[in-house]
Amino acid sequence: MTTPLLEIRDLHVTIKSEGKEILKGISLTIPEGEVHAIMGPNGSGKSTLSNVLAGREDYEITSGHILYKGKDLTELAIEERAAAGIFLAFQYPTEIPGVTTMTFLKTAVNAQRKARGEDELNAVEFLKLVRAKAKSLNVSEDMLKRPLNVGFSGGEKKRAETLQMSLFEPALAVLDETDSGLDIDALKVVAEGVNALRAPNRSMIVITHYQRLLDYIVPDHVHVLAQGRIIRSGGKELALELEETGYAGIVESAA
Amino acid sequence: MSDRALAYLKEVAVAKGEPAWLDKRRKAARASFADAGFPHRRIEAWRYTDLARLMDKTDWKPAQPETGAILPPEGRSNPFGGIESWKLIFVNGFFRADLSDLAALPEGLEITSLGQALAAGTKFESIFDATGPEAIGSLADLNAACARDGAVIRVKAGVKLEKPLELIHYTTKGDGCASHLRHIVELGQDASLSVLEAQIGWGGHYLADRFMHVNLQARSNLTHVRVEDEDTQALHLTTLLAEIEADANYKATTLALGGRAGRMQSAIRFKGEGGNAVSDTAYLLRADQHLDTTMVADHAVPACNSAAQAKGVLAGRATGVFQSKVVVAPGAQKSDARQMSNALLLSRDAAMNAKPELEIYADDVQCAHGSTIGELDGDALFYLRSRGIEEPIARQLLISAFLAEVLENVPEELGREPLRERAENWFETDAEKGGSA
Repeated sequence: MTTPLLEIRDLHVTIKSEGKEILKGISLTIPEGEVHAIMGPNGSGKSTLSNVLAGREDYEITSGHILYKGKDLTELAIEERAAAGIFLAFQYPTEIPGVTTMTFLKTAVNAQRKARGEDELNAVEFLKLVRAKAKSLNVSEDMLKRPLNVGFSGGEKKRAETLQMSLFEPALAVLDETDSGLDIDALKVVAEGVNALRAPNRSMIVITHYQRLLDYIVPDHVHVLAQGRIIRSGGKELALELEETGYAGIVESAA
Repeated sequence: MSDRALAYLKEVAVAKGEPAWLDKRRKAARASFADAGFPHRRIEAWRYTDLARLMDKTDWKPAQPETGAILPPEGRSNPFGGIESWKLIFVNGFFRADLSDLAALPEGLEITSLGQALAAGTKFESIFDATGPEAIGSLADLNAACARDGAVIRVKAGVKLEKPLELIHYTTKGDGCASHLRHIVELGQDASLSVLEAQIGWGGHYLADRFMHVNLQARSNLTHVRVEDEDTQALHLTTLLAEIEADANYKATTLALGGRAGRMQSAIRFKGEGGNAVSDTAYLLRADQHLDTTMVADHAVPACNSAAQAKGVLAGRATGVFQSKVVVAPGAQKSDARQMSNALLLSRDAAMNAKPELEIYADDVQCAHGSTIGELDGDALFYLRSRGIEEPIARQLLISAFLAEVLENVPEELGREPLRERAENWFETDAEKGGSA
């Protein structure tokens, strides 16, 4: 049997500042090339899980393991995880005044290439690459010249995140509530961008509160997260069931 | 009467064989300075910078002229080197005609070394008279007592100069050498000039005092770009007095990163309606460095605008000071005064003191002041790192972005890029010198 891309075993996580336990024993296996949706009500621990995968330092893993490509992920620093192929698309992408989107993208792409021992792209090569990818995601030249995420609309922010994903070509993309702040048209554009990036060598974790997103990014598996635990797993039809019964029904029947 | 002040004057204020008018002025300045002494922390405007204590424990002596070649260490060269300009070079407080470039000065631009002019018998009484407001402290007197050289720059009415003028100060000697320079910049009506000033030193422990008196006649424009990069053991004092007539503009941008301890003070006085003064400062400090940026804007007449902004990055055990005082005189309606201090503390041991002062005696004015003191944005840092950007680079990106708001105000042809590079170079030695948090 091949090693899964990501294997989470009985993961317990607390918030450092409060000592409060958020994840209370999560186990999850993501094989290469699959798209898994994690659904759950507010406060269930969805965003904590995505932040822990990206390496955010506000959380402490009190027990359990995260294996990425068979190795302990927690030994890698935030930036090393990115270079190793993990990408987190933020629910609320951070505004960075004073750093233009283009400068940021070039710095990030070359930092990852350097960390992997690849040649850095020169300005011309990079510009060519970005222009091609930006066009298909409807990211304008003007957006690239503006400070990163500053004054971007909800749709622009998510398109910029998707552009990053297409530039970094991660092995594991974690999409944290990508649908939040998007109207239906903006959601379609982003979903198309994400679908175009589905590949046999790329896995995705799609975190969402609503089933709606999963009409556009159709998952291979769906997991329901509630109160820090995965209480149900199933195929894509589980999302539809949730839509009918609501979280209350599922959380109760699991209790 | 201060013993410390007297001892200093005895050693440093040695001027012999001066003409009677100057001798008289020197004596008055010496007496006045000796009475006040060096400013100390019990004086409100100096509470964060105890100059008296900083002057202690050193046997100060006057700096001597240096005649040899000047070879700045790596990374410490003249930041304006690549810009076509006229050049005035001072070394250890003395004019160096041989290093300067004043060839083919156009009609209407007069540049003289104060030292040469005095030696030639020119009478410059007004130059030694300027004193400035109380916050300047006794430093105007100290400078009038001790300065023996400087630049006298005059632009005649209506003369607009495209080519900038560099005013470069090098200090190569330490061991308690003290130098005092006195510059005057006068722009006639409708004249315009850009001055690129640098203070660069590698001599060790010295005192560098620079006094500049700016006089802008109606509708004239002075753009002033400054880089302060003194030796990290040095004390430096910069005093700028600007008198601004109707519709004249003074625009200053300063990048400061050197010195063990320093005070950069400016006093702006509006003398005609419609005057504008903008002073932006970006500073980067680490280890035990201390920098005090103090500004006074005197809105003596209506309808003038003053803006002071300082953005500082403090690492190690560095301390920053931003004091900005605005005085709006009775009847000075439609005055607009803005002051803002933003400090980024990169370590738990760094400290920042910000103090606004407003004295407003008119009712139809706009005065705004603000101050922020904070750390690097943790969310922004996480975001950049999650994209594979290593932490030191991510920090540098965020810090550069923070300073950009000031440095972007420098026109490209007046050194925006070299200043930005100078600030970026600061990061390269950051880690070694205890800069990182």
